[in-house]
Amino acid sequence: MSSLVIKGQRESGQDVRTGNVTACVAVANIVKSSLGPVGLDKMLVDEVGDVTVTNDGATILRLLEVEHPAAKVLTELAAQQDEEVGDGTTSVVILAAELLRRANELVRSRIHPTNIITGYRLAMREGCKYLRDKLAKPVDKLGRETLINAARTSLSSKILGSAESVKFATMAVDAVMAVKTPTSSGKYKYPIEAIHVLKAQGKSAKESELLPGYALNMTRSSQLMPRRVAPAKIACLDVDLRRTKMKMGVSVLIENPEELNKAQEKELDITRDRISAVLKAGANVVLTTKGIDDAALKYFVEAGAIAVRRVSERDIERIAKATGATVQVSMADLGGEESFDNSLLGYADEVYEERIRDDDILIMKNCKSTAACSVLLRGPNEYMCDEMSRSFHDAVCVVKRTLESNSVVVGGGAAEAALSIHLENFATMIGSREQLAIAEFAEALLVIPKTLAMNAAHDSTDLVAKLKAVHHAAQNDDSKSKLSSFGLDLDVGALRDNLAEGVIEPTISKKKIIQFATEAALTIIRIDDLIKIDKKEDDGSVPY
Amino acid sequence: MVAVQAASSAAMPYATPNEATTASAMSEKAKDVRRSNITAAKAVADAIRTSLGPRGMDKMVRQEDGSVLITNDGATILEQMKVEHPAAKMLVQLSRAQDVVAGDGTTSVVVICGALLSAALDLLGDGIHPSAISDAFQVALDKSLQIVKDMAVPVNLDDREALIQAAKTSLSSKVVSQYSNLLAPIAVDAVLTVKSAPQFNGNPNANGNSSTESSMPGVSATSATSFVDLKNIRTVKKLGGTIDDTELVDGLILHQHTAKAGSNAITRVQNAKVALIQFCISPPKTDVDTSVVVQDYTAMDRILREERQYILGLCKKIKATGCNVLLIQKSILRDAYTDLSLHFLGKMKIMVVPEVERDEAEFLSKSLGCLPIAGIESFTSDKLGKVELVEQVSLGPEKIVRMTGITKPTKETVSILVRGSNHLVLDEAERSLHDALCVVRSIVHKQYLIPGGGAPETEVSVMLSKVAKSTTGMEAYCIEAYAEALNVVPFTLAENAGLQPVEIVTDLRRRHAAGESGAGINVSKGAVTNIKDEDVVMPLLVFSSALSLATECVRQLLKIDDIVLVR
Repeated sequence: MSSLVIKGQRESGQDVRTGNVTACVAVANIVKSSLGPVGLDKMLVDEVGDVTVTNDGATILRLLEVEHPAAKVLTELAAQQDEEVGDGTTSVVILAAELLRRANELVRSRIHPTNIITGYRLAMREGCKYLRDKLAKPVDKLGRETLINAARTSLSSKILGSAESVKFATMAVDAVMAVKTPTSSGKYKYPIEAIHVLKAQGKSAKESELLPGYALNMTRSSQLMPRRVAPAKIACLDVDLRRTKMKMGVSVLIENPEELNKAQEKELDITRDRISAVLKAGANVVLTTKGIDDAALKYFVEAGAIAVRRVSERDIERIAKATGATVQVSMADLGGEESFDNSLLGYADEVYEERIRDDDILIMKNCKSTAACSVLLRGPNEYMCDEMSRSFHDAVCVVKRTLESNSVVVGGGAAEAALSIHLENFATMIGSREQLAIAEFAEALLVIPKTLAMNAAHDSTDLVAKLKAVHHAAQNDDSKSKLSSFGLDLDVGALRDNLAEGVIEPTISKKKIIQFATEAALTIIRIDDLIKIDKKEDDGSVPY
Repeated sequence: MVAVQAASSAAMPYATPNEATTASAMSEKAKDVRRSNITAAKAVADAIRTSLGPRGMDKMVRQEDGSVLITNDGATILEQMKVEHPAAKMLVQLSRAQDVVAGDGTTSVVVICGALLSAALDLLGDGIHPSAISDAFQVALDKSLQIVKDMAVPVNLDDREALIQAAKTSLSSKVVSQYSNLLAPIAVDAVLTVKSAPQFNGNPNANGNSSTESSMPGVSATSATSFVDLKNIRTVKKLGGTIDDTELVDGLILHQHTAKAGSNAITRVQNAKVALIQFCISPPKTDVDTSVVVQDYTAMDRILREERQYILGLCKKIKATGCNVLLIQKSILRDAYTDLSLHFLGKMKIMVVPEVERDEAEFLSKSLGCLPIAGIESFTSDKLGKVELVEQVSLGPEKIVRMTGITKPTKETVSILVRGSNHLVLDEAERSLHDALCVVRSIVHKQYLIPGGGAPETEVSVMLSKVAKSTTGMEAYCIEAYAEALNVVPFTLAENAGLQPVEIVTDLRRRHAAGESGAGINVSKGAVTNIKDEDVVMPLLVFSSALSLATECVRQLLKIDDIVLVR
């Protein structure tokens, strides 16, 4: 290989495969201990010294800044799972690494990678089919109970898991239901971006609450404004309400001192006209993304209106959605003059300021179209609040996915064990080299229950063996089909009917975990050559 | 090598006055040069041969900037590999040339070239003059092209199934092979749609029939074979979803998204009239040196009003033509649009898509049937393109604008929306789709198909050695070697598929010698079968161009007898 001169290094053949697999397994090992209800958290300190304490696989991997190119595939995998499903980020990474490890073993025992690829693919397809046809429990009419259970399962592994899980699960379900909006095609969509999460330190996590309406983490521009306005008419502006300065290239030439005063007044007058146009339209709450001059505040105070400046664009858009207001970037009308139409206003029953911890928070209660709600998370410190918001996000995603897919599978390792048994049977039906790969795939799925048991400090070998036995019986003996919903009870270290206990996950989440993990594993197995191009030396010249 | 030479010339500065011994140039001995060139080129071929064929593996390349690329495409691998040896660079360009001509077979061409080079190296070792080898190879090439031509089957462009099979064969070696049932028809339909385009330009009265014959009388003889410009096929990549969501869009996809002023954004327009403008809807800027001087404070109001009136005037004129979708080309001199203009346009219910690139303008006007408008004065309703539905669609985190139901008599362009779950898969899907498009294009350009799976190489090899036996001299010897070298393709195919290469290749040769020209390696069954029955086919152009390019590259390398490094 020395005759190939490239600007960098090259590795090929089995070395690369082993190297890649080792790197991926190393990454998976990092997140392994955080899987499941008894999983532990990681504390990550970045180069600036910022600390993150988390249990979320995607967050851990994102902060790790992995260097190895193959391991990067895994971090991307977690990010992708996070984006598409929102939950199961740890599982997907662990499963992918296990699939890879087993594939590498197979290659070592002289099975050509292409056979493994075909085998894994077959197994993945068969697995997803089985998951959809046999394991998924259709929920015809999703009761609130089911949703809360799904959210609880997701929360169980998180910091919110223990005593408060019912409270937070209920909050998650309520939040998602609050943002439920019908689409044009008669279905419903759940824009979870409309759930506004506010974090405030102080008070216990138990005192977190769901606020009816939109909470804006900002305060009135002036203390002279009223604390409460009801009923509120809200104007959302993207207009600068400071003194109107002339544009670049326009200079005002003033010849005597009186003129100066007048010119300055004129600047303010233009702004005053704008404000009075808005107030005349009936607005008593004015939000703008830009500034408001202190001198201009008096107009609002006189009118008894609340004005808030420097609202972030994200916030103002959500508020507009919630209250039915229209965000205006300019007040110009089609006549070329400036005016403000009252159809642009949004409505809420009440807008009031509340003091939470040291901050004042402006709450818009009972907005006209309630396509938004806010969750106020409380916690003893910043890290706790951050982690709570991540966990809450996961729970919200799970609720959303459950509502969308209308079907659930049993959690606690039950689905994986059932799939594993089925695929083992499936493997024996295939009389070619792919059989081995499918069998390994089946075996790899068991990594999830194994890790769950291990993290809970139970005898994983024993438990998984029992689990397999139960599922084997369920699949082969019709009279025992009820056993198919048996999974691990990690508190006691025994088996139980997890469906009855309400340990459920949305089917789509499980399906995506299997699909994504397989795809990622295959991408890496297919690589037999790694070329690292050296970084360009900085020779001081300008690159472009 | 260079270092040794430099040292010796430095030690004896005056011993060889005839040679270029100045500090600026150094030379190498002819024989060693040839050998080192060939070895370097062969190393390149060896590097990518594991990615040949349906069971080929992928390469992972970590680029200079640290980003990672995973691909199976020969041209892409070589381009990213950054080889240093000048001869090795020639192979990289060889692969690129194949990419330009045929678009597929970029790995094969390099593998064939490598095999031919090692044959040449042996011949050189036997003391045959490089020119003799080079000439004999040319003879062999001419014969080979004749042989493949004979085994090729003409294909009718109306035979959609045959085209799809060819595209599928090309896709089978890629990571996206499991989606070939979806991607192959997309590629075929896309190429067939844009194929007919130039004929209508030449003869606008021709009827809508897309076959070449129908338009022949109206067009000059040069355009008798229809031409496919892949530039008319736009592929838009968007992250998210899976490859299953990839689709051929009857209409146009814009990767830009609509501009939004406040919550006034219009994201759906029915019965749209689309205008593509190249001017800005923003207040004119004063030059740096000049400025507007206001002497009277009352005039300050007027300035603001003037600005509003100016923009409003522009917008009203646009509205008056009936336009309701506005595509704005990027401008570097000033803002192409301002908040104020978006505000007005939004009020007038005109959808705005900004950030159109300058080089996109031609494609857009071709697809929509609208003319680019350079100034507000020339904004007239006859320049608008009519589209049934323009809609902004959210795809996960990203947004695209989709235009469907373009009311234009002829379709000259198509758009393909490629989806993938991560950017590695997405990029590879796009590259694979490009290959498939190229394959279909190759068939349109040269309407012949040949069997794949190593069949043509074996056939040429077997027939060529027969030819060699009927001639004498140096040439016969070299042709024999050439024929032998072509076995590398079936050999590598078998090797990559985890089969026994020697067994397979000998079986293949036996069958071809017995006159079974369609015998090829069936990778999925792991045996030699009649590959035509398996529908593994490829365009003639891909193979013939690979063979010609590889041979020419070898001949060129053989003729080099000196490398002069100029400092």
